Amino acid sequence: MARFVVRRLLLLVPILLGVSVLLFVWVRALPGTPAQAILGERATPAAIERFNRQYGLTRPIHVQYWAYMKTTMRGDLGTSVASRRPVTTEIKERFPATVELAFAAMAFALLVGLPLGFFAAKRYGQAFDHSSLFLSLIGISIPVFFLAIILKYVFSVKLGWLPSIGRQDVLIDAEHPTGFYVLDGIVTRNWAAAWDAVQHLILPAIALGSIPLAIIARVTRASTLDVQSEDYVRTARAKGLAPRIVDRRHVLRNALLPVTTIIGLQVGILLGGAVLTETVFAIPGMGSWLKEAIFNHDYPVLQGGILFLAFVFVMVNLLVDIAYGFINPRIRVS
Amino acid sequence: MSLAEVEGVRIEHEHLPSGLWRETGRRLLRNPGAIVGFVFVLLFVLIAIFAPLIAPYSPTEQNLSLLADGCCPGPSWAHPMGVDELGRDELSRVMYGARYSLVIGVVSVTVGLSIGLLLGAIAGGFGGFADSIVMRAMDIMLAIPGLLLAIGIVSLLGPGLVPVMIAVGVATVPIFSRLLRGAILGQRDTDYVLAAQSIGVRRRSILTGHILPNSISPVIVAGTLAMATAIIDVAGLGFLGLGPQDPSTPEWGTMLTNANSYLSTAPFLALFPGLAVVMVVLGFNLIGDGLREALDPKLRGRL
Repeated sequence: MARFVVRRLLLLVPILLGVSVLLFVWVRALPGTPAQAILGERATPAAIERFNRQYGLTRPIHVQYWAYMKTTMRGDLGTSVASRRPVTTEIKERFPATVELAFAAMAFALLVGLPLGFFAAKRYGQAFDHSSLFLSLIGISIPVFFLAIILKYVFSVKLGWLPSIGRQDVLIDAEHPTGFYVLDGIVTRNWAAAWDAVQHLILPAIALGSIPLAIIARVTRASTLDVQSEDYVRTARAKGLAPRIVDRRHVLRNALLPVTTIIGLQVGILLGGAVLTETVFAIPGMGSWLKEAIFNHDYPVLQGGILFLAFVFVMVNLLVDIAYGFINPRIRVS
Repeated sequence: MSLAEVEGVRIEHEHLPSGLWRETGRRLLRNPGAIVGFVFVLLFVLIAIFAPLIAPYSPTEQNLSLLADGCCPGPSWAHPMGVDELGRDELSRVMYGARYSLVIGVVSVTVGLSIGLLLGAIAGGFGGFADSIVMRAMDIMLAIPGLLLAIGIVSLLGPGLVPVMIAVGVATVPIFSRLLRGAILGQRDTDYVLAAQSIGVRRRSILTGHILPNSISPVIVAGTLAMATAIIDVAGLGFLGLGPQDPSTPEWGTMLTNANSYLSTAPFLALFPGLAVVMVVLGFNLIGDGLREALDPKLRGRL
């Protein structure tokens, strides 16, 4: 197992190096010189000169890349053009909101998607099966931001049940030691704040979780159908095991294997979809931050933010692979 | 003289359609989901083609006098989908929007498909060093979440409809190249490839004449489904304000951005373009699923 983990970790190195090269080249390929891109269009010649010397842009390109790698490895992702603050500081503030949202969305997708797919397979060919298939088709066909707008209109504007923007009501006095607002409320025993944060999460999580939900339901259904016709399930039934126990011990356990690998890939959809969801619900997370960065031509933020999210995405997939190795011993060998 | 006389009976063979594609087409036509998908897509294709003839107004014509009682008048007989914040007829805009959406889907998938197929064919066909290089490059692209990759490419090219289509297309390259490579690797060791090799067919002819035609069916399915995601992603980038910079362009994603600001007074402005996106995307997804089943009947009812 240790060898498997080490090998997977080593495979990550070239990928992350590649991403860093890609982003390094990307900033240099942007319209205008890097100095203009980073300092803005109205930068004075003196400022550009100073910038070029400061970042060694007069040196050969491989030397520049080496310098960029060294600062990046030290955890320095540069300074935001818009706020003049270090990119890493802003990530620290923004990332918890996106993680919280992604977690809530994934929890919603799993809680609804798994049972939906499983029971659809159990009722194969019946009305429930057909409606669950239809629902998951709608789920992958509806743009995240459109669903977000509909939910916001129905549940906030019309019914007034749930808040429409932000992470917390401005009137609530709450401390944020961790940055995860729901967790903060629980840690500080401020139950009103925790509940308020949960209410703010519901609509964005449903909107963002709709695609993973649909995909999880489909994969669960397909793999349950496959597992159900396996010999070991027939054996378990034949020896007189109660259907419920067969389902739980033999069918569900094996049917969930392909679903685990899907979860890692969904994180990419969640991180991308967060840009749209956070925009609709005005959530100050990584997504809305990157969106603002596009409009401010804040290239250090885009470069650092995308590198960071790629790192997170790759790490999550590594963790999922390792978890998969634990659950399914067969793949450790191959 | 034999005791039993055998009467010659002409046995009528049921005429079986030959060929993978004819069989696929037949199966597709028996799939109600796929037919619904075809109807949806065909409907929007017709709307897109005949938009100038059937749209009641021009999509860019502003009639501010309609906004005398505030924004925005809802659906009425004169304007079945209401009027937007500049007094433009929403129905006409949604109809013209079909043109953008379909062109967007076709162009971005063509971009992704052609680059992806080329890379996949190189990787799978030549193997070895070329394979490692191409596949590592694809791994790197896949490490960046699709929409973020597209955003990065749009900032390189500058906002606009064409950059957005290219960006969304390029973001799908890894999907197609990996798919085709996998399919080619699956075909490489089959008997008919061995047979072709043994009679001395050149490597390139084997690749283009034997392996590629047999590897293409998963790619066609993925292409149809990619059309659906491309339309959603382009609408998403339009929603972020990266789409056409001329605000009068009736692109559905851009229309939804504007509608978001008038949500409390004019929700129908978000509803109609949004529903149009859902219908087209649903159509392509249904066709894609139908194709997948038709090409691989073992999957029927499983996916």
